[in-house]
This record gives sequence, C-alpha cells and structure tokens, in this order.
Amino acid sequence: MTLSGKVFITGASGLVGEAVLRQLLTQNPALEAFVLVRNDLRWQLASRRLGPLAGRVIPVSGDATLPGLGIDPLTRQRVERETVAIVHAAADTSFSRSLDHSRFINTLGTYHVTELALLCPALTRLVYVSTAFVAGRGTGTMRECDNGANAGWVNAYEQSKYEAEQWVRDSNLPWVIARPSTIVCRGLEGEVRQINAVHRALRVYHRGLAAMIPGDRAHKFDVITSSYVAEAIATLVWHPDAAGRTVHLCSGRRALTLGEMLDAAYDVWAECPVWRKRGLERTVITDAETYEMFERAVMETGDARLRAVISSLSHFIPQLALPKVFETSVAESLLNPAPDPATYWKPMLRRLLQTNWGHSEEVAA
Amino acid sequence: MPFAKQNGQNTPAIAGISYAFPAGSRTVAELAKEQQLSSSSETLESFGFGSVHVAVEESPYELALAASTRLLDEAGIDRSSIGLLIYGGTPGCMAFASAEQAEDGAAGLCTMSRFKYPASRLQYDLDLPNAWTFAVDQLACTTLLGAARVARSLCLTEGIERALCVSSDFFPVNAGREAIFNCTSDAACAVLIERNGERNRLLSATTITKGYYWDVDALRDEIVASYFPTARHVMLKTIADAGWAPGDVDWIIPHNVSMRSWQILSGLIRLPRARVFTDNIARHGHTLAGDNFINYRDAIEGGCIEPGQRVVLFAYGFGAQWTGIAVEA
Repeated sequence: MTLSGKVFITGASGLVGEAVLRQLLTQNPALEAFVLVRNDLRWQLASRRLGPLAGRVIPVSGDATLPGLGIDPLTRQRVERETVAIVHAAADTSFSRSLDHSRFINTLGTYHVTELALLCPALTRLVYVSTAFVAGRGTGTMRECDNGANAGWVNAYEQSKYEAEQWVRDSNLPWVIARPSTIVCRGLEGEVRQINAVHRALRVYHRGLAAMIPGDRAHKFDVITSSYVAEAIATLVWHPDAAGRTVHLCSGRRALTLGEMLDAAYDVWAECPVWRKRGLERTVITDAETYEMFERAVMETGDARLRAVISSLSHFIPQLALPKVFETSVAESLLNPAPDPATYWKPMLRRLLQTNWGHSEEVAA
Repeated sequence: MPFAKQNGQNTPAIAGISYAFPAGSRTVAELAKEQQLSSSSETLESFGFGSVHVAVEESPYELALAASTRLLDEAGIDRSSIGLLIYGGTPGCMAFASAEQAEDGAAGLCTMSRFKYPASRLQYDLDLPNAWTFAVDQLACTTLLGAARVARSLCLTEGIERALCVSSDFFPVNAGREAIFNCTSDAACAVLIERNGERNRLLSATTITKGYYWDVDALRDEIVASYFPTARHVMLKTIADAGWAPGDVDWIIPHNVSMRSWQILSGLIRLPRARVFTDNIARHGHTLAGDNFINYRDAIEGGCIEPGQRVVLFAYGFGAQWTGIAVEA
C-alpha cells in the first residue's frame, strides 16, 4: 500500500465515491485526498457524514464536464504534482436522460479525467467506476473485458458508460475499470441510502400499480452492496496486479433469480397485515413481447399517473428480459468474495418498507 | 373448483342460450360525436370496437323477457320443469323504466316501488310456476357467469332439473358509453342450465373476489394493473380444475373488452390469439353480463366451436370479481 501522495476522487459526495473515500481514508491513516467538488452543499453534507476523516480531505472546486476539470491553474498544478491515484466515480446515473446529456456528463467527464491523469507524473493508478450494465442488451455470460457494442443498450446511461470505458482503455494509463452491478443497499443490514431504479420498481409493484414484469423466473438479476463495491475499489487502487484489468463487482453466479427476488419481496410485504388484506395479485413474469404490448396500451390510453409509472420503469425494466451472468474470475483473483445477495435482499426490502422508500419513517402499508 | 367427474352423469350443462338487443345502435364515431366517450374514437376503434347497441325506448325488463321467451320457445321444453329462475342485471324497479326514463326508475328505488322485482315478474310473465326465483347482484359483468355457477350447484344439490338464468343490462345515459377503454352496449341474455347434459357441460369454475377494489373511481389505476395477473390466475385455475393443460384449450370465449387486452392476456397464458373468439367485439361491444354466453352461442352457430372442444369463458366485473368457467362443448 502506498503511504505517500494523495488520491484524487471525483463524485466523492455520491453513493460510491463517498464510500470509497471513507474506505481509503480509514484503511490508511496517513492518506490524504483531493476531492473534486461541483456542488458545495452536497460536499458539505458528505463532509459531515465523513466526520473526522474529512480533516484529511482537500476539496477542489471544479466540474468534470469542463476542460481541465474546471480547476483553477494553481490548484491544478498541485493536484497534478501530488496525486498518485485517481478514482473517477462522478457520473449521472439516471437511466432516463438523453444520450447527449449522458455523454456530456459520463463520457466527456471521463475524457477530462484521463487528460488530468496523463499530467500526473507520480500516478500509479486510475480506477474508473463504470457499470456492469455496459453489457447493455447483451445476454449470456459477460466477461471482464470489452464485450463489444453489437447488442446495443437499454438506456443512454449504459451507452455513455461503455463509451467512457473506451477512453480509459485507450489512454495508456495504469487504469482499472471497476464494474459494479446494481447497488441496492449498503451492507448486510439492508440500509438504503440512495433510492434507484430497482427500489422505484419495487415500490410500483408493492403498490399494485404494475401488472407484469418482463423476463423469466429463472433469469438471474445481479445486485450488490455499496460496502463491497467501496472495499473492492479501495483495494484496486493499490493492488499491484490490477493495472489493465476490468473487474466485475457483482454477485456473479450467486445472483438471485428474478423469481427468487420477487417471491422474497411478496413474502416480506405480506408480513404487513394491512398490505396482505388487500389481496394484491403477484405480478406476472412474462415474455418481452407481451410486456411491450401492455406498456404500449398504457402509454396510449392510461391516465397520467399510470403512464408516469410505466414510463418510469421503461428505462430499466427491459434489462430484466435480457438474462446475463457477470463473470467474476478477475474479481475473485484480486478481491475478497462478494456477499451472497440472499443475505441482504430481504433486509433491504424490510428497510424500504420501514422508511417508506426513503420518504418517511412511517411504514408503507 | 372442479365440478364433477366426466362420466356423462350428473354433469350440469348449458342447454340453450338466447339474447335480445335493443333496436338502436351507434358507431364508435357517433358516440364520440355525442360526447359519450372519454377516449378518442380512433383509440377505441384500434381496440377493436365498431358499434354498440343502445336502448332508448326499451326497458331492461322488456329485453330480459324477449331473450327468455325466445330461449324457451327454441328449447321447446315443458315450462313447469324449470325449478329455478335467477335474474341478474338492472336492479329493482329501474328494470321497468326505459333507458330514456332511467332517472325516474332510479327515483322509484326510494319508494315502495323498490319491491317491484323484475325477477318475480319474469317468473309470472314466462309462466314458470315451479321456479324458485331470486336475483343475484353486485357481480357486474360476471353476473351471468355467477348465476350459472349458482344454478349448476343448486341443480346438483337440490335436484333441480332445469334452471333459467337471465341478465339484462343497460348503461345509464349519464354514465357515458365507456368503461376503462371499453365501449358498453345494452343487451339481455338468457341461459338454460340442465342437471344432466351430454353437450356444453360445465366442468369447473373459479371466482376470485378482491374487495379492496370496491371503489372503482378511486382505484382505477390499481384495477387496471390487477386485472391481468388476476385474470391469468383465474383462467389457469379454471383450466387446471377442469383437468386440462393450458395448451388443451380450443377456445377462450371472452367478455367483449378491448382486443388489445385480450392480446395481452393470451400472451400471459401463452395461448395463440387465434383461439380467442373476438368476432363480436366490433359488432356488439361490451354488453356487460351477457358477453360470454352471447359469444358462446354465436361461436357455435358460426361453426367455430365443435362438439367436444374445450372452452373457457372468462369475465371481469367491477366490484371486483374475476370469473372463469370451463365448458366441454
């Protein structure tokens, strides 16, 4: 582990970036970090959550979408001189953005980070936080490498992250590409800090507002915890054998099937007598064609609320009908094993209920 | 629940079906012009609707009497052999008011007129001296399927030889002509059930009632979402209880809701769309409780359904009720 020099982190007020920063600072009491700060308020909140660890963090005002990351020249010179490792975690993770918007944040932002990295003489590692879903519409076993772009993508987020990976691969830097799957909670206790598409979809089904789901009961759907992802990325920052590797931070072959995930969800929801009394029918797992017909019918005729519900699912839910298993042999050779999703899926579901999907402490019945 | 062993004995069966429509009709485009629809005519036409029957001068009772009389005439049976009459549809004295005077009929429910029952009058007018008579209510579009199910049970448990089930519905003028993307139509339908039958045997029935959805206006989105998984559940259970596999089913006889919804539902139960009898959706619209049996008769007369084929009748009714009945033709 390198004890001198600083790490430079983008997206440090986000779910992954903050967790990685915490992990790095906790692991190495001598380590200091630069963090790229675009939004002061968000950084102040993150800084408060970090507590005393924030004392070893130097906030640097800037914006990944700007040339030179928008950092003033003097500060930039210092960053270039002192940085030994970069973790680029900043991203717009919304699935519903236009391709132009996603590229502007995710692809162009990555390009600017690689430009900075090339100017850091002491740099030993650039970790680019990508996503396992750069696999897009691909099905089958996804290897820890460039699996190509032939299958296309479900949403602009996936495509923009895939294109960003190409910048990183072509950069001649000591890069590592870390590909988390969908982060659903912090750890085994199921605590949810940030509501994402999976949580929103679960809420729709919990409320009985969606009739069906595309896919197959036996299809695996990969989810992971943020604590594992943070620990893994922190390891990859210093791991001597990680350069030039693409690493799936995924459950891999241990991923639950769609049937198992839904059964668990309905079992947990049925623990609430008020919900159980409603007698909501379990959603039907069906083929993509039937689901698309239902989706089209709702978009043509449904009222505003139902259309909004189906629309909110449309950027994510087609992925469920594209079965894939993420190979994790590189991850297994470099990292500790990923947690078994069976251990945190139900606790996560209960936390969602307890916090009413992050809206209040009142139970969502 | 499965009904009976398929041994040819003690298997209640459908012995006859007849129906009556009012004289008037409207195309979907005409309904749109009259502001009777909440969706556009193009949307409803794309869902398979063409025209609907509209009662103006006719009362629901008159339609019920016409359908029942026709059925009994066609069956040519001794009317004293009918031991049960079950009426369903427009309630109480409202059934005697013409569609254009429906509000007066509704007002009568707050007077002693509420005890003027169409079921009793039907028993008298049809000359059914031995028919125990009552009405079923609050089953909406599943009324006639529910009545047939009750009749089938009473035939077996009380030895009733024949039962007449009659529904008659009209859609109130102020309600418009659309119910969640379906064009509604006025009609009466009469079904004769016999305790023992070789043809059109009732093999199984499933009903799921979900009272949570009782408030149709407030839970419209939830009802749309729950419709498909519950319909699938009911249809698969009906099929299984009849001793069939889904692939064994020759025909689905639907209630005449949108073609699109049947395309989706056939996908959910993995049956080819061609096995859903949808011919009547365009020409009759959704006659509330009458659809399944009107369609069943037309499918037989049109040569679609052949003896021995396996048929599932399915309907959803506000309330909320999902009902399926398996029939061996």
